[in-house]
Amino acid sequence: MDLKAIFSIAKKEFIDNFRNKWIIILSIIFAILVVIISYFGSQGFGQGWSSLEDTISSLEGIVTLIIPIISLMLGYAAIVGEIEKGSMSSLLAMPVNRYEIITGKFFGLGSVICSTILIGFGISGIIIAINVPSSDYMPYLSFIGISILLGLTFLSVSMFFSTLFKKRSAAMGGAIFLWVFFAIIWQIILVGLLLATIMSGDITENASIPGWFFPFLLANPLMTFSAASFPDAPSIYWRILSPILWIIVPLLLTFLRFEKKDI
Amino acid sequence: MTSKTVKCPKCKNEITVAGKPGEKIQIICPKCGSKGKFTFPQENSKSKTITDSFTIEVNNLTKSYNNFKALNDVSFNVKSGEIFGFLGPNGAGKTTTIKSILGLIHTNSGEIKINGFDIKKKGKEVKKYIGYLPEKIAFYDNLTALQNLYFYAEMKNVPKEECKPLIEEMGIGDEFNKKVGKFSKGMQQRLGMARALLGNPPILILDEPSGGLDPRGVALIRNKIKEMKDKGSTVFVSSHILAEVQEVCDRVGIIDKGVIVAEDSVSKLSVKLNLKPKLIIELEKISDKIIESVKKVEGVEKVEAIGVILHITCHQKAKSKIIISVEKAGGEIVNIRTKEPSLEDVFMRFTER
Repeated sequence: MDLKAIFSIAKKEFIDNFRNKWIIILSIIFAILVVIISYFGSQGFGQGWSSLEDTISSLEGIVTLIIPIISLMLGYAAIVGEIEKGSMSSLLAMPVNRYEIITGKFFGLGSVICSTILIGFGISGIIIAINVPSSDYMPYLSFIGISILLGLTFLSVSMFFSTLFKKRSAAMGGAIFLWVFFAIIWQIILVGLLLATIMSGDITENASIPGWFFPFLLANPLMTFSAASFPDAPSIYWRILSPILWIIVPLLLTFLRFEKKDI
Repeated sequence: MTSKTVKCPKCKNEITVAGKPGEKIQIICPKCGSKGKFTFPQENSKSKTITDSFTIEVNNLTKSYNNFKALNDVSFNVKSGEIFGFLGPNGAGKTTTIKSILGLIHTNSGEIKINGFDIKKKGKEVKKYIGYLPEKIAFYDNLTALQNLYFYAEMKNVPKEECKPLIEEMGIGDEFNKKVGKFSKGMQQRLGMARALLGNPPILILDEPSGGLDPRGVALIRNKIKEMKDKGSTVFVSSHILAEVQEVCDRVGIIDKGVIVAEDSVSKLSVKLNLKPKLIIELEKISDKIIESVKKVEGVEKVEAIGVILHITCHQKAKSKIIISVEKAGGEIVNIRTKEPSLEDVFMRFTER
């Protein structure tokens, strides 16, 4: 593996995408919303800084909405966009392997996502620290970590979509559908399954959550946050396993798919 | 102990080294300091090293898209140090062949060797020595011209100091720090040529290098191609501008419907096709009597009258007799010139529908 080539591609992706106006706009919106929520959260709406958890759960909404969109926007065109435009031919004519290109792109685009998250949450962290100096920051730091994992998850999946389709527009459609599927359709299915279980009499009011519930919930990377709020929720290790698998498996599929692709 | 002269792939400096057959040694170029490895060939062995002069061998290449055969048993060779023109009508398979050579597409069967190395097995190694100008030029729009070239220089392990002079040589020296997204097609083409020339590659593959260029740009590219040949590079050029190809190429290959229909120098192909030179006579006035008298001359194959100009396809020996017959028929000659069979004539004959 040529680490120098991977680093060069990652650096190029970072500079190129950090100048993309849509990424800049979304990152600014993200930072503003995070700052607003953390400011009012740390003011406690008149109740004082009673709950860091409340602020984090408000931030969850922003993270699950904007971070996947930024990731999908970065990832969907990463491969198909370059092929369609023509720059992939020139890149592949360089002394570099195809898996090195994918790895470089993933790290480059991933660093754009990490930077966006760290800038947004860094500012909000300063605001919280000013207002609540004695707060326990571990939940906040793990929240940042999971947000990064979530961003990388959607990046990995959208990069796979980028190798799957022949047109940039189709890859974008696929990426949008993916977000809608995880954000809306999955929850509808979940509620439907729960209702069906209750209706069939498998669980009663006093009964515990059915066995299939958490695996199903965690299979959706967007549910990684909300899973923590349920009683008997799986440990953090189980909760981060889902996004990690969602990063690794699509990335491996991206390698395989791109290796066979005619440019 | 045998001695061998090798060329430095970067500065083309010739270095003489000595060693035993099969011995592997490290060479440091005394001129530019580049390091490289060299293996002395075994006796009676055909093994080659990456530092030898470069050739392209394409053998029995086949590529199908669903039921359409884009390349059908394509075979040809590009000799070391020559300029090879690759021609064909639209959709004949030129770009598919080029992409196969570069490993951008997966062929169904066949073999491509660059200086003896199989592109499928040693692709990454071999591509260090190839400069490529694609038909569809594209860069990273949010990066400047210089940032783009720096990126490719890093990928090719070429010193960044080469980038600025190359941009200047290609006539876009004032645009270093302009984002490529704001470049015109011609400027991008020039920058594309600068990218292809990074590291003085021993093999240059150019797909439609004159696309989108003004006449000055076309001349610049033509001179660069000649310059690269003089430096010892092998140049493979695909172009629609036949006059350009004829001017710079040593040999040509013609592909039609995915099949190689000709491969040789233009003059040899003309002989093979039995193409005749054209005698072009401009007259003060033209008449049927003059045309008929020319047609009767022995060795005349075809007579065409366009305005007051006669285009006569004939044998070499018939030329003086034609001039006499024109004068005898009362024609007043204003100008006479001869046009040898052109690449266009060869191309038209080989790709006749």
